[in-house]
Amino acid sequence: MSNQEEILAALKEAVVEYEEDDCAEAAQRALDEGVDPMIAVMDGLAAGMEEVGVLFDTNEYFVPEVLMCADALYKGLDILRPHITLDDDSPKASVVIGSIQGDVHDIGKNLVKMMFDVAGWDVHDLGRDVPLESFVEKQLDVNSDVLAMSAMMTTTMMGMKKVIAMVKEKNPECLIMLGGAPVTRDVANLFGADGYAESAGNAVSEGIKMIGRLREFQKGDIK
Amino acid sequence: MAQETVNVIFQPSGRRGEVPKGCNIIEASRLLGCDIEALCGETKVCGKCIVRIEDGHFEKYNIQSSMDHVTPWQEEVEAKFINPENREKGFRLGCVAKIEDDILVFVPEESRAGKQVVSKAARDIHIDFNPTIKLYTIELKKPDFEDKTGDWERMTNGLAREYGLTDLTIDIMTLRTLPGALRAKNWTVTVSVWNDKEVIRIQPGKVTHTYGIAIDVGTTTCAGYLCDLTTMEVIGTSSMMNPQCKYGEDVMARITFHMTTPGGLKRMSDDIIEGINSLIDKAITLTHPKKKKIKKKKGEEGPVEYKEIIEEGVEYLRINKEDIEDVTIGFNTAMHHILLGLDPEPVGLAPFPPVIHHSLDIKARDLGIDINASSYIFAMPNEAGFVGGDNVGVLLAEEPYKSDEIQLIIDIGTNGELILGNRHKLYSSSCATGPAMEGAQLAFGMRAAPGAIERIEIDPDTQDVDYRVIGHDKSRKFSKPEEMKVKGICGSGILDVLAELYRASVITKTGVFNKKFLKDNPRFRKNADTGQPEFILAYKEDSSIGKDIVITQKDVRQIQLAKGALYAGCKLMMKRMGIEKVDTVKIAGAFGTHVDREKALVMGLFPDCEIENIHGVGNAAGDGCRAALLNKKKRDEANWCARNVQYLELTVEPTFEKDFMEAMQMPHMTDKFPHLEGVVPDHVLNQGPKGPVKPEVKS
Repeated sequence: MSNQEEILAALKEAVVEYEEDDCAEAAQRALDEGVDPMIAVMDGLAAGMEEVGVLFDTNEYFVPEVLMCADALYKGLDILRPHITLDDDSPKASVVIGSIQGDVHDIGKNLVKMMFDVAGWDVHDLGRDVPLESFVEKQLDVNSDVLAMSAMMTTTMMGMKKVIAMVKEKNPECLIMLGGAPVTRDVANLFGADGYAESAGNAVSEGIKMIGRLREFQKGDIK
Repeated sequence: MAQETVNVIFQPSGRRGEVPKGCNIIEASRLLGCDIEALCGETKVCGKCIVRIEDGHFEKYNIQSSMDHVTPWQEEVEAKFINPENREKGFRLGCVAKIEDDILVFVPEESRAGKQVVSKAARDIHIDFNPTIKLYTIELKKPDFEDKTGDWERMTNGLAREYGLTDLTIDIMTLRTLPGALRAKNWTVTVSVWNDKEVIRIQPGKVTHTYGIAIDVGTTTCAGYLCDLTTMEVIGTSSMMNPQCKYGEDVMARITFHMTTPGGLKRMSDDIIEGINSLIDKAITLTHPKKKKIKKKKGEEGPVEYKEIIEEGVEYLRINKEDIEDVTIGFNTAMHHILLGLDPEPVGLAPFPPVIHHSLDIKARDLGIDINASSYIFAMPNEAGFVGGDNVGVLLAEEPYKSDEIQLIIDIGTNGELILGNRHKLYSSSCATGPAMEGAQLAFGMRAAPGAIERIEIDPDTQDVDYRVIGHDKSRKFSKPEEMKVKGICGSGILDVLAELYRASVITKTGVFNKKFLKDNPRFRKNADTGQPEFILAYKEDSSIGKDIVITQKDVRQIQLAKGALYAGCKLMMKRMGIEKVDTVKIAGAFGTHVDREKALVMGLFPDCEIENIHGVGNAAGDGCRAALLNKKKRDEANWCARNVQYLELTVEPTFEKDFMEAMQMPHMTDKFPHLEGVVPDHVLNQGPKGPVKPEVKS
């Protein structure tokens, strides 16, 4: 096994086994040994998180384990990210994210946010119980590429429709993603959203699945 | 060619699935494991299998159900058992109606084989006697030319003179009965006065008893306690599933149904009112002798007649609907709003404000509740968020605001409600436990009825399972397999199972099946269809449904979510109060009386506490509702409680996420449980994140 492969495997394992210290150590080694930090993030940390998603789907892992894995991932990410150099020609992608007004659940939203962090996006996290207008204002203000909203209760889900209408009216270019336990593809279509994070009835696996899709995206598999 | 199938859903059991098109409802119920009474073996003569086909679109199941989706009405068979009014409502005989297209079937309590065990029984708690309805018997002089005062003034003058009652008012419905009542028994009447203010009933002659009913409307189950308002005695209890269950399992789903379906609120409101009327009916029927249909001679026509079967030595009170003069209702805020037809939408959105906090006195007839015409319903006040009058009921029954010791009261239902504090400070909060602990959403979850596993013990050495089922008095160890007739697992069994799986090392503290340890254990396997790991609680030969009864990894996770939410709630409240431990833990809820306190602590339902100080207090919400029925001071106390208990919105507490996460493990990820030492083996209690390691036995 080459040095790089070994380090990527160590990063992956540290995330899966939720060992924060091991993760930080492996990230530092990646830098010391000259591994491209972007590769370390995507094929090390994010790949590990993808495996966590599989474990979660088969009920091997549960919410606490997943959150601890996320903690480990952030330990590594904090070390690697400052060293990722971006092409000046391609401006950094940005996202406005938050849990919708009336909803105070944000475990799922934070996992989705993690996915954008991993990808090196500019993340504008509005937090939870975000007034509908604030989504619109922030989106117009920073002109983000993506607006991501989450609702964990069926009652609050209805507010997303209003936000989509308001944003699309002023800025039809913005891509809108919805997520959360009660959100289905039908709902997303009905509300006029562009994307929908497939959910296995739980925001956690959904957030993780999006990481997988993002990795494909970064590799140029999907456009 | 593949056989055509249709979707069938049975309510309230929630059993659902596909069945071959053209089979009748009884056959479908057997296929899907929902038992309908069929004494005659489908020969269409017993009339026991009456069910109702629901009409309309049901978002939750995504099906369109209609009476036209079954074969047409058979007048000669069905008219004997179902009157035209009920036929209109969609009632049919299960053995007659064959299924042609998707349907949602409601199985009324009477038609269910294996009646639910009423676990919401009334408990003996101390209540001061001071009912809202008081009876005054008065003898009046009949009018003559000397004194030609009107009937009402004549009576109120008498009541003022004899009992010092002044400023009385009267409801029009009662006033209409006044002249007749006065003259029926020679100007002696018994007057029912509500709150020393309003005359709500006038009966001829001397009457010594009057009745009321306290109703606890839960998201999933409802219970009624029929009480004698003059002796405080509980005469009868009745219970039923909340008929709104078909619109969604939890309060959020019900509120969403209202938001997405035009007329949804009215449908749900009408359903629960109809339910309450049948609950009252059921309770008063118990005070009458049983009835038997009189057999008709061949060819004899005419309406069905009944004869009473009077048991010797039994005194029948024969209470009628008109004799119910007072009703108190306790419910969570969402149930409150829906029953009263108040818009529940705002209460479903943070910060969850209710339409009203204060209690309400509403004329029963305005709600369509069929009791004495002029009587009032007392709707318990709401606290905040989803914490409503049911939690106020728990407070009234347990009175932590009168105690010095710090009590933690956990009311387990579809929504978990928590109270923490003592006479100096009280907090309340609620958490979404979901229906898992009541048996819903688990692979073999069921309600507490015969065939339900209610107690479980797992041998820590062999991982062998011993259990008890409702309806059979000996445990598995002392029975033959065929005696067990297991069908599933109910609430109290579910509380046991997590603790026992953990204690016996079948699962690790994180909740995952302990594969390394179980290895080739025959009870542990991967489900052939789903690939999910599962553990067999009862083998096929013990079961009456021809299947192994298992608990799956997903089931374990569901229970963990519920228990984690409760534990996190307790902990956040303790943090807010600045305390490390509580003096007493009380567990309320439908199975509060059945809970095994040691196992509740082992699974980590709440933070560490001395096992002796953990108590099951049964359906405290219902008891509190009964207290408000029998003692009007309790109604003032209820309003005081509702506004003086500080409500804590758990999910916005800064450490909620972390606390919730840590609390999902058994008994907790990091918190210490000194009181479990000796109860749980050391190597299990102090296991690392990778599971218990059994110490080597030195030879």
